[in-house]
Amino acid sequence: MTPVAGGVALSLAFGFGLLTVFTLLIYTKNQDQRLFLVGQRLALGVSFFIFLATFILSYQLIISNFDVDYVARYTSIETPFIYKISALWAGQSGSLLFWLFILSIFSTITILQNQYKHHELMPWVIISLTVTQIFFLILTNYVTNPFKPTEADFIVANGNGLNPLLQNITMAIHPPTLYLGYVGFSVPFAFAFSALVNRDTSPLWIQSIRRWTLVAWLFLSMGIILGGWWAYQELGWGGYWAWDPVENASFMPWLTATAFLHSIIIQEKKDMLRLWNMVLIILTFTLCIFGTFLTRSGVMSSVHSFTESSLGPIFLSFVFFIMIASFGLMYSRLDDLKSPKKIESFTSRESGFLFNNMIFVVLCFAVLWGTLFPVISEAIRGTKITVGAPFFNQINTPIGLILLGLTGIGPLLAWRRTGSKNLIRKFTLPIIIFFISIVSFLLIGYKGYVVISFSLCVFVTTAIISEFYLGIRVRKNKFKESLHSALINMISKNRSRYGGYIVHLGIVFMFVGFTGHAFDREKEFSLQVGQVEHLAGYEFELVNLSESERPNHYAWISKLRVTDHQGQFVTNLYPEKRVYFHNNPDINRRQPHSELDIYSELNKDIYSIFSSIDNQKQIAFLKIMINPLVRWVWIGGYILVFGTLIALWPRKEE
Amino acid sequence: MEILRDYGLIFIPFALSILYVIEPLFMSKLANSYESEDQKSLKRKKIMLYRQIKELEMEYDIGNINNKDFTKMRIELKKEVSAIIAQLKSK
Repeated sequence: MTPVAGGVALSLAFGFGLLTVFTLLIYTKNQDQRLFLVGQRLALGVSFFIFLATFILSYQLIISNFDVDYVARYTSIETPFIYKISALWAGQSGSLLFWLFILSIFSTITILQNQYKHHELMPWVIISLTVTQIFFLILTNYVTNPFKPTEADFIVANGNGLNPLLQNITMAIHPPTLYLGYVGFSVPFAFAFSALVNRDTSPLWIQSIRRWTLVAWLFLSMGIILGGWWAYQELGWGGYWAWDPVENASFMPWLTATAFLHSIIIQEKKDMLRLWNMVLIILTFTLCIFGTFLTRSGVMSSVHSFTESSLGPIFLSFVFFIMIASFGLMYSRLDDLKSPKKIESFTSRESGFLFNNMIFVVLCFAVLWGTLFPVISEAIRGTKITVGAPFFNQINTPIGLILLGLTGIGPLLAWRRTGSKNLIRKFTLPIIIFFISIVSFLLIGYKGYVVISFSLCVFVTTAIISEFYLGIRVRKNKFKESLHSALINMISKNRSRYGGYIVHLGIVFMFVGFTGHAFDREKEFSLQVGQVEHLAGYEFELVNLSESERPNHYAWISKLRVTDHQGQFVTNLYPEKRVYFHNNPDINRRQPHSELDIYSELNKDIYSIFSSIDNQKQIAFLKIMINPLVRWVWIGGYILVFGTLIALWPRKEE
Repeated sequence: MEILRDYGLIFIPFALSILYVIEPLFMSKLANSYESEDQKSLKRKKIMLYRQIKELEMEYDIGNINNKDFTKMRIELKKEVSAIIAQLKSK
């Protein structure tokens, strides 16, 4: 198929989208069931043509049809197959089409899943999802069309190729995962919006969207963690989080979504916080669109590049449209959103959840402010004032530690109120262990936030273990079960609760990893073959330097032999200095890249970077970093995913 | 030629989509096929309430709720379940 067919498919999707909205709006007035069916089918048609367009662009990338501008920009003949596929989301227009593609998958699932459910809500759910599709269809049809032909008066023999930094398997997985998260929140938002239109405050739709929210949250979390993993493996600065605007763009909706996941439990169980939940889901969805705007409009690099392209203003207009429409509708439904019940006590789980919600939102606004400040300063004063990692760390570390503490406190509080006896009974052990930890860490010589963070990790772990212990003890006494069966039955019968505790344990592991950053060590040096350098009790010997020509790059490989302070062999490291597009006659098109090598243990990583090479003198310029506890971050990520899957696992209908 | 072939290829799914979309318009006026939805909603609500009772019992057993609150909340939930069962029976 030619790219023209892709463009036509996108145009047809746009036309079907407009018809969907029009038909369903008429249906909401006349209630003719035939129109509802037509509307449903039109919406499925929108998704079908988007699938077709995505398939056509993927095909053009695979066959290297450089007549398509996008294909020529982001692939070359040498690009490996997997990266030709991942080039679909490497550039602006392709990634917007990919956004649409995922939205269409979710929209199709939502329509098919609810064919015979939520009949009152579904018309507006479909309208809401289709309006989002229409917005992205406007962009891909009229602003940045992925099927635009190459503007050259000669036959393009080869493309530019994919950025070497993106030629990494994590980078092939990370964006789709992140997008699944971003786009996933469209569904809970659509239900919430429809509930507002229909004045539906029943807990039934909330139950439906809780699962969707959890799925989207899981993907967003995985996307963020994979992004950190990629940055750590590929960018060569030794860290996984730099408070970069692109990272912040994904972190902000994650914060509000996490708050929403907690507070929606209260609405489901206690019918409280209706208004608050609406605010949170609207904010989450808006931040998802806003995040895409931040990364795709060019506003972060310069306010001027934002106004030069029409993409930025259109995106921003859509963000304002969502906010005005949603908050406006919410304002008109304030009476319906008043919860009949009130929080009864400060020492209740409800109030703990609400407090944690507040902290999440404060953290989100702190990140938002830090992210937008350079843009605002450039717009107002003409000078861009950059806000770096120190600002974010200074503001967010204490807030993060408060959240960590609440992760331990929340589960210990009872619903409605926690009596003084109960408070003493449940808090005594974790608090004693918390203070013992503080003293122990101080005696070891740790200081400041390190002591607080490690001690809070111990506190939260104790609280979680004690909750598991109490649950198991109850089952053992009540049902005479063995320890093993009691544990399995307890988790399987209370999946969201214990899945949630496991997620909290994952967060604890991640905080241990974050805190390890305080002990990082690094050294830059140059070595000739046979020479050695020392860092943190390790000896690094350059054993040899070799060269290799590979299909899409040329590499110099250094072999570093690492021994510990007793002279025991630890590992060999092979960091590489690569040049991508090395055969390109235009020297400026050749791209150097440092492919690092990491030796990872539970308590530390040895991180090696081959910065550059002096070919004549055979000198390798290297950088070594000792990064303690980084692996805990990734283990925490695995635990978080495992806990979320437990919470998500469907239950048998009793 | 290739372009004409592609237009042809896109025309087929387009024509089929249009037929699929407009098919309901040729049906005689549809009765509301969602009449049983109330029934389904009530059943789902009943399941939710049963789950809440189980969770409440778990909270009580662990010691997260005192006896007075537990009894009051359990009675409230049971009343709600009874009302739903009565509604289901009447339909």
